[in-house]
Amino acid sequence: MANLAAVVGIGQTKYTTKRGDVSIAGLVREAAVNALADAELTWNDIDAVILGKAPDMFEGVVMPEIYLTDALGCNGKPMLRVHTAGSVGGSTAIVAASHVQSGTFRRVLTVAFEKQSESNAMWALSSPQPFSTHLNAGAGGYFAPIIREYMRRSGAPYDVGIKVAVKDRLHGARNPLAHLQKPDITMKEVEESFMLWDPIRFLESCPSSDGACAMVIANEELAGQSPKKPAWIRGAAMRSEPTMYAGREEVSPQAGRDCAADVYQQAGITDPRRDLDVAEIYVPFSWYEPMWLENLGFAPEGEGWKLTMEGATSLDENGDIPWNPSGGVLSSNPIGASGMIRFAEAARQVRGDAEQHQVEGAKLAMGHAYGGGAQFFAMWVVGAEKS
Amino acid sequence: MSQPEILNQAFELAYTYTRSTGPVIGRFLTELKKRNIVGIKASDGRVIVPPMEYDPDTAQELSEFVEVGQEGEIVSFAWVKEPREAHPSDKPFAWALIRLDGADVPMVHCVAAGSEEQVSTGARVKAVWAEETIGFITDIRCFELV
Repeated sequence: MANLAAVVGIGQTKYTTKRGDVSIAGLVREAAVNALADAELTWNDIDAVILGKAPDMFEGVVMPEIYLTDALGCNGKPMLRVHTAGSVGGSTAIVAASHVQSGTFRRVLTVAFEKQSESNAMWALSSPQPFSTHLNAGAGGYFAPIIREYMRRSGAPYDVGIKVAVKDRLHGARNPLAHLQKPDITMKEVEESFMLWDPIRFLESCPSSDGACAMVIANEELAGQSPKKPAWIRGAAMRSEPTMYAGREEVSPQAGRDCAADVYQQAGITDPRRDLDVAEIYVPFSWYEPMWLENLGFAPEGEGWKLTMEGATSLDENGDIPWNPSGGVLSSNPIGASGMIRFAEAARQVRGDAEQHQVEGAKLAMGHAYGGGAQFFAMWVVGAEKS
Repeated sequence: MSQPEILNQAFELAYTYTRSTGPVIGRFLTELKKRNIVGIKASDGRVIVPPMEYDPDTAQELSEFVEVGQEGEIVSFAWVKEPREAHPSDKPFAWALIRLDGADVPMVHCVAAGSEEQVSTGARVKAVWAEETIGFITDIRCFELV
């Protein structure tokens, strides 16, 4: 990696079903203003804005980055848009960081958002196409058979997904920004919730949220002057692969494994479960926790579910490697922002700024995002120290 | 050699959206419904119509609404000789940049006039309201020459 860079400001909105009180501009503005306030900076301190969101079909505004320059104090400055489906929040943060690491800019603002209430993201990408059978499956319908295959291969008990659904909602109940607030959720409640796409139940799925997340990323010199503790970016990587090709390993995609190996190598991590203190991993459907535990090397193949069932990933059970203490995607999902929230929440942990969902003494944290048909991956590792 | 049959299937990309207009554009549209036109005061004192949420120079949030006149002056125009279906008028008309009295920047709208010769830069126009107003830009049906 080139020059050091660090997160010096983080801003989020309260995630909720519908923010009818603000325009799209007003929503991104709120997160950006919060990030600037956290960094104790003003618009004039920012050299460029790097914006990300999921497909334009979700709100029906084509290239919204163009009209958002006023709201983001970006008139007369460079504005870049990043687009990698559901992983976009993560890749946007990495693109922003790389502009600082390369020395191109000294300090950038990066923002990701989705205002899902302006449409219905579940079906926006499932419109019938000519000469194709219309599956009308949505995202859950796409991932359900892959989860089935994971269950078959690993022999995991049927309630692993239920456990994840409960665990992440209990985490979310500690985070006032989380969309779903379910402090009394039980295994029984999840099990009895409506089966949407077998084996994915309603409560094993992410909600549909409005929200935005923003970060200020600065170079080493400016981060050194930052009033609050910086989160140093110790590694960042992206990988992608086609949605479908013969022999594709869909349960544990090669791109995910390669991306993890790259980011661990940069951060000097040899055993992620031991070396990391906490991880914010993109889990929109409950079973993706055990699947990603294996894909990312936290557990041997076929054994990810054991960590979940032992409580290793749970704050409430004093697990050794808490996953998604913020409540994760299962508690809040403004799609385009969800990846950036993972990255920002990892940074909050190493800044010691995560309040009720803080992992005590966290020094090294991972943020992760995936998108498309689990084909785009973005990951970073942030630390309380520079190296 | 005979031409191969080309397969065709209709493809209509249709999707419904809602739009939250927020406190500034929302106010502008609500005022239109009440047959008022409002702008907003920018940091340099200019009155901008339609209003903007954020100052184009300082990026500050704007909130000082100013009611502007329903008459104004044509700054520039383009005559539409043969209106098409999507146009706001089935008779020839002008698209014009109109600077309303009390505003510092022009706003695009249509001007109804008998012929191109009647329209000129500097000509005075006034708003003609639709019979029923709904909170949309077409609540101003058109502008006509004063």
